[in-house]
Amino acid sequence: MSELIRSLVAWLIFPGFGFLFVCALTVEWIDRKLLARFQGRVGPPWYQPLADWIKLMGKEDILPVGASEWVCAALPIVSLAASLTAVLYIPVAGHTVSAFEGDLIVVLFLLSVPTLAYFLAGWASVGVYSLLGGNRSLLQYLAYEVPFLTALSSPAILSGSWSISQIVEWQMRTIWGALVLPVGFGIGVIGLIGKLKRTPFDIPKAKSEIVAGPLTEFSGRKLALWRLAIGVQTVVGIFLLVNLFLGGSRLSIVLPVAPVFALKSLLMVLLLSTISALYARLRIDQLSDLGWRVLAPLALAQIAVTVWIAP
Amino acid sequence: MPKTVVPIGPQHPLLKEPLSFLLTVEGERVVDSSLRLGYVYRGIERLCQDRNYTQNLHLFERVCGICSYVHTLVYCQGVEALLGLQVPLRAQYLRVLMCELERIHSHLLWLGVLAENMGLTTIFMYAWRERETVLDIMEELSGGRVTHAANVIGGVRLNPKVDQTTFDQIAARLRGMVAQVEEFQDMVLNERTLQARTQGVGLLSAEQIRRYCVVGPTARASGVDVDLRRDAPYAAYDRLNVRVITHQAGDVWARTLVRVQEVLVSMQVCQQVLSEMPAGPLTVKVPRRVPTGEVVSRAEAPRGELIYYLRSDGSDKPARVHIRTPTLPSLATMGEQLRNINTADVSAVLSGVDLCIACADR
Repeated sequence: MSELIRSLVAWLIFPGFGFLFVCALTVEWIDRKLLARFQGRVGPPWYQPLADWIKLMGKEDILPVGASEWVCAALPIVSLAASLTAVLYIPVAGHTVSAFEGDLIVVLFLLSVPTLAYFLAGWASVGVYSLLGGNRSLLQYLAYEVPFLTALSSPAILSGSWSISQIVEWQMRTIWGALVLPVGFGIGVIGLIGKLKRTPFDIPKAKSEIVAGPLTEFSGRKLALWRLAIGVQTVVGIFLLVNLFLGGSRLSIVLPVAPVFALKSLLMVLLLSTISALYARLRIDQLSDLGWRVLAPLALAQIAVTVWIAP
Repeated sequence: MPKTVVPIGPQHPLLKEPLSFLLTVEGERVVDSSLRLGYVYRGIERLCQDRNYTQNLHLFERVCGICSYVHTLVYCQGVEALLGLQVPLRAQYLRVLMCELERIHSHLLWLGVLAENMGLTTIFMYAWRERETVLDIMEELSGGRVTHAANVIGGVRLNPKVDQTTFDQIAARLRGMVAQVEEFQDMVLNERTLQARTQGVGLLSAEQIRRYCVVGPTARASGVDVDLRRDAPYAAYDRLNVRVITHQAGDVWARTLVRVQEVLVSMQVCQQVLSEMPAGPLTVKVPRRVPTGEVVSRAEAPRGELIYYLRSDGSDKPARVHIRTPTLPSLATMGEQLRNINTADVSAVLSGVDLCIACADR
């Protein structure tokens, strides 16, 4: 019985749905505020993402004729569910709900599900812009995913374990992954920007070209769920990179666990927001070029170096 | 591959004004396009025939919001030519000042819009913030930020409290802007993602420019050296040094560079005007009746050569006014620019020619 209660608390409150919901809204606010300050604006107040979400939940929910209602309703939920399942294996401020050898691969697979759901959203909600965006999101996925997966394998090879908690334990014993594997970390960050479809890789939802890409025809509650799913995906991606490369929850001197983890996550948010403010949007063929000609060879080189220096 | 028709407009995040492009798209390539104008057609050329020459000042200012001043300038110059008036020198210098300020704010607006369409929202915010300085200056001079009502037939009508100290302050504020605009120039020359999106896109050769009679920065970016301020000086331009910027590349990147450098040139012209401002009256007495005749009046608007054809039949209302705005030939080149390009390049191409649909539709 207490096992069930503990599981329910983990799934629904911490580090599950409730915690991630709050984190998603917080990260969205920090991102918007940082972007605004970089651009010389004031930025929204702290409750803005929550207010936007509540407002969206109350709006009219329509789809074009020919769009499949139940598929469009299910897709954001599937995306959300995949991210929530992935967080069960990621140490959040030291707490992992469960872990096993190989859970890194499971997490990476689960984090691909939202991308596929996004692409299907473009197809299921028929509309010219949605279809174009869906096609682009798939091309983008092919461009960044291979280097991303390769780069994220390097800490696993270095630490000798494919479990994220074990990788964190290894970093606690030795050194931050990013310091030993800078190229892997860099490609991980670039891949994360591609996965989260942030500038300069916000090609599938390029506002000035295809309105809103796959999510153009979504509105009301479905769009609110999509935004939540994207927010949770952002948070989970950040947690993953913090754990794999930034040493998880501890510094070399003993400090309280939760603030350290939060600080590292905030550093990641700062990094992502800065990159978003700096660059223009690439074209999809330029991204494919970048992904296959630059990132993939670099990631392979990183793997080769890692295998060579691994104990 | 199946062809889909992607509508750009009439409402689209890319467009500031309504326009309808129907792009035939195969995968990620645009194979064909069709254009439809007229969504902002207000019938100004017909409306002006029911209003007298002074009332038409109000009307022609509202052909366009961005280049409103130069429209009234061209109209006033046309009527003054029909009347045989010589506008006082101080009024001519002030007209040049307002024209160049308008060129600065129009180009900065455009730079922001181009950056936003490329996903570089940061530059959009920075450019429009610089633009605020210019709009504030225009408000101080004329009372309006966007429409100024600063031209009258026979001269200018400006804030009577403006004197040499105001001009010195304006000169100082313009000097304060130079650093940021030079950073924009630096960005265009060095920022790789912007160059990746704009270089090689929307190529127009000098021969195509001449065939379509394209004018303005779009023409100058393809190496066609036309600028009315130097070739057919009006107002006080014959007494001022205007450096004409041209580039050879003919793509959107060249157009960006031309416009940013033109902002710097305009600021220098403003400094010259403000330091050489002659004293004197602002207007000259205007006869009551406009004699019969016809005149073609033109000026270098921010987007190129703006032409007004005026015909008077001796009454107090114009018999015919025809406006040829510089955006029209640029739109005519769209068919060629949009053929066989990437879908993602559509935003660069449409932003590159600095469309002013209100001008084109009248």
